[in-house]
Amino acid sequence: MLTNHLKLSLRNLWKNRMLSTLNLLGLSIGIGSVLTLIFSVYAYYTADSNLEGQEHIYYLKTTGTDGLSFVDNVFPLLDEIVKSSPDVIAGTHVHGWGNMWLKKGDLELQERTDYVDNDFFKVFTLPLKYGDPETALNKKYSIILTDRVSQKIFGTKNPVGETLIADDSLHVTVTGVFEPISPYSTFRLGVILPNELLRDNPTFMANSGWYNSFTPSYLRLRPNTDISQFNQLVYGLVQKNYPDPSTVASIKAMPHADMRMDAIPVVKTIIHGSIAVACFVLLIVLVNLLNLNTSTMFRRIKDIAVRKILGGSKKSVIFQFCLENGILVFLSILISGVLFLAFLLPGINEAYGADFGKISFNVTKDYPVVLYAFGLGILVTLVVGILPTLRFISVPVSTGIKGKIEAVKSNFLLKNSFIILQFSIAILFICVAIILNSQIDYMKEAPLGFEREHIVVGKIDLDYRDADAAVSNFEALLNRLQADPYVESISTSDVVPSDYPFRYSPFYDANTKRDVRMRRAFTDDGYLETLKIPIVTGRDFDETIDNAADNPVIINRTAMEALGWNTIEGKRLKYKDDPSSGFPVVGVMEDFHYQNMQYAVEPLVHFYQDKENLVAHRFLSVRIMPGHEKSVEELIASEFENMNSRRTYSQEVLTDMVGAQYRLIDGILKTVNIVALLTIFISCLGMFGLISFMAKRRVKEIGIRKVLGAGIFKIIVLLSKDYIVLVGIAALVAFPIAGYVMNTWLGSFAYSISIQWWMFALSGLIAFLITGFTLGLQAVKSALANPVKSLRTE
Amino acid sequence: MLLQLNNIFKWVQQGGQRVFLLKDINLQVEEGEFISVMGPSGSGKSTLLNVIGMLDDFDEGEYEFLDEPVHQLKEKHRANLYKQYIGFVFQAYHLIDELTVYENLEMPLLYKKHSGSERKAMVADMLDRFNIVGKKDLFPTQLSGGQQQLVGVARALISKPKLILADEPTGNLNSAQGEEIMTLFKALNDEGVTIIQVTHSEKNAEYGKRIVNLLDGRMV
Ligand SMILES: Nc1ncnc2c1ncn2[C@@H]1O[C@H](COP(=O)(O)OP(=O)(O)OP(=O)(O)O)[C@@H](O)[C@H]1O
Ligand SMILES: [Mg+2]
Repeated sequence: MLTNHLKLSLRNLWKNRMLSTLNLLGLSIGIGSVLTLIFSVYAYYTADSNLEGQEHIYYLKTTGTDGLSFVDNVFPLLDEIVKSSPDVIAGTHVHGWGNMWLKKGDLELQERTDYVDNDFFKVFTLPLKYGDPETALNKKYSIILTDRVSQKIFGTKNPVGETLIADDSLHVTVTGVFEPISPYSTFRLGVILPNELLRDNPTFMANSGWYNSFTPSYLRLRPNTDISQFNQLVYGLVQKNYPDPSTVASIKAMPHADMRMDAIPVVKTIIHGSIAVACFVLLIVLVNLLNLNTSTMFRRIKDIAVRKILGGSKKSVIFQFCLENGILVFLSILISGVLFLAFLLPGINEAYGADFGKISFNVTKDYPVVLYAFGLGILVTLVVGILPTLRFISVPVSTGIKGKIEAVKSNFLLKNSFIILQFSIAILFICVAIILNSQIDYMKEAPLGFEREHIVVGKIDLDYRDADAAVSNFEALLNRLQADPYVESISTSDVVPSDYPFRYSPFYDANTKRDVRMRRAFTDDGYLETLKIPIVTGRDFDETIDNAADNPVIINRTAMEALGWNTIEGKRLKYKDDPSSGFPVVGVMEDFHYQNMQYAVEPLVHFYQDKENLVAHRFLSVRIMPGHEKSVEELIASEFENMNSRRTYSQEVLTDMVGAQYRLIDGILKTVNIVALLTIFISCLGMFGLISFMAKRRVKEIGIRKVLGAGIFKIIVLLSKDYIVLVGIAALVAFPIAGYVMNTWLGSFAYSISIQWWMFALSGLIAFLITGFTLGLQAVKSALANPVKSLRTE
Repeated sequence: MLLQLNNIFKWVQQGGQRVFLLKDINLQVEEGEFISVMGPSGSGKSTLLNVIGMLDDFDEGEYEFLDEPVHQLKEKHRANLYKQYIGFVFQAYHLIDELTVYENLEMPLLYKKHSGSERKAMVADMLDRFNIVGKKDLFPTQLSGGQQQLVGVARALISKPKLILADEPTGNLNSAQGEEIMTLFKALNDEGVTIIQVTHSEKNAEYGKRIVNLLDGRMV
């Protein structure tokens, strides 16, 4: 029986090989992309699965009175909480304090370094590949490596007990190696060391009081903790201990599971977007198959009737159809698996890898995805196998045997609603792609308030082995640059647009009673000149007047407005209740986009630093006369390459650095573009199949019409006009949805385009053109067929 | 008594009116009969055949098949009945294009409980009997109309039915081919198979032992 069914299925597929190929193609591509999306969502959601009881882990999130929130807290707070709350099982800091250089033999490398408390493993049950979590953090001079770092230093061997030299001074012993951590995990770790170690560090001890917020704090709470009560306790501790508790609006324990989305808001968009897109693509694929199957069903009414008369049950007919579809579906799952591994996974890694890390597929670990795919395949098979048959199976045999299509209840509307649905989704994606494209273009092209061209940025934070020699070399280089006729201006700074660290200071003006939290940066006196940022009032820094010890500052226009100042005459920036005289404000610069345009320009303050102060700066920016970049770049590069440093020198043009800020969103755009193409492609495949089937059904009609004198054009119109109308309806359905979705999304950008009517028009036009082309192909073919030949087939 | 129709009515609603397709049909068929149903086009011949074959419902009256009251049976039971006892032959053959001659013949057996070797024997027997062994691996489209109908008859016979219902079995055939099928029917009937055929041809009707004439859904 089964072999008979199988044989018949294969013959049926072969008989309609064009349709089968279309189906296979649409399915493979569709399922391939669904697979990819499912896999990345899966990778995302399971990344932290090795944490036991993650639902009881919390991090502290502070919201200031200025409305901004952050995860960094003052160091002593956590210990106070652990001491005073009965609900805490364990707590730990996880914070950086400069990344260590680690040396083993000749190998020296710097990795992300985090300091944690002894209870780290009581909070986070991260499994160790080597070592014992109970004891790994007991000794002061211990270090735990991630698998990645361990492999870099020790290869595949077990390094527990080995000694590393940290920052040329400390001997630390490896006490553990983590199991590999997913790149999508909340944890971004390199190596961790016990906080004990920092107690010997005078700068740490001096800066880890109740003033300085720098460390995320994590807590494992008892399962039935009343969180709001707990938050109150923490807030009480803040009121008691903070020097200025009035800046804290709230401090709350937030579920650790939310931390990733909280840290990079766009992750939420990507994950939710991926899920939505996966559903949509799946829906389109399903609808497509349903459409095509329904159309082949018409041809099979007679077959079904014959089978029923000869003794076949409904079940066997449905089984036959499911088998046929199952073959197609599983064949395409196979193909899509290959597509996924060969193209799609590398593709998402390229698009998102730089921001989230590259993910890889490992059957032993990720077999659930294979199971999902399998389950999905069965589901798809059942739906597309059963749904179309249901409507035909109940046609009485006596009518079915006549093969009359009219015997099937008129469900043209149903079939058409599928096409409308399909094209609505396709047009929706085209719309989203067009609008997103315009937004990204806008962000990339918009005037930024500085001139980004012709500036080369050298990264000079290189960890020099001989600091004094480096400084004198650097001064010599500065002199040579100043003398270079092709150099227009030079600046050193610890920031450049696109790379302003998230550092804030709370300032207060006693006269205007304004609290203003300002982004903080250090620059020399050449910065504004090099970037061509205009001064609004006051003056630029000037090395002949300014002295870094006096901390002169320049603020931006937004800061001045936030402080409620009309003039900067005699103004100083001060902290609240600060007995010192504060920082003299020497000038106000025009607002410029120091971070990407998804974010607004905040109040910003630049502190003065001497140009020559090599260690205070991270960047050397040089404006070069167009056409002479090469010689100057080579001059700088060769100078830095000669200095003895741990890191190697690199440089980049500012335009690229600014552009790279949109890498992630470019990745999203790329995905959306591909999805848009995909959906319209699959929809067209379906439509192609449908119309060719229709044409086949109507050969006789077309033949008669032609014999009676209808022109080719008339026939083409006859065959395609319904579909054109359908695409039109689909567009009307899609536009408002696209408008709504994109308006919401654009709202998350600080600076956004407004949606224009032509964006909708363009997406509609694209859909029409592609559909028209597909239709035309088939319609022309049928219209041109020899009428006599087609009539004879009856 | 093979089957008995008593006061069978069948109608459809059209524009709020009853249009009768069959009116007061009374018919008794004994085992071994060979009946020809005749009448002008649209007189209800096919409808009658469908009712007898249980492919179609009727609205009023009683139908007993082998002493089973068909009008009281559930759909499933009825299907079992016709699958077991009735073979159908169609004007348009209705072979399955995707299956070879051999597989077309085998198909009705697949729906019943026959072992593989049993099936093989039965199909081989039929191929032999109808002299189409050489054609067994061809697809229906590769056969002439007469040959296709031969396969159609063979398929109807393979599960050894008591009754053969044939709706214009020679309608698509030339006279020589038609005669061949009719001779075959005659031979089958002589072996004891009951046959009810619809035909337009007086000559073919002659092969039957009894003629039923229909006019506007009524027996005349
Ligand atoms: N489902 C239906 N609804 C309405 N009328 C029907 C239906 N089925 C059949 N008829 C009508 O019933 C009448 C009898 O149809 P039937 O097919 O039995 O005729 P027939 O005697 O077999 O004719 P022919 O010799 O042309 O095959 C016809 O007038 C047909 O139009
Ligand atoms: Mg008829």
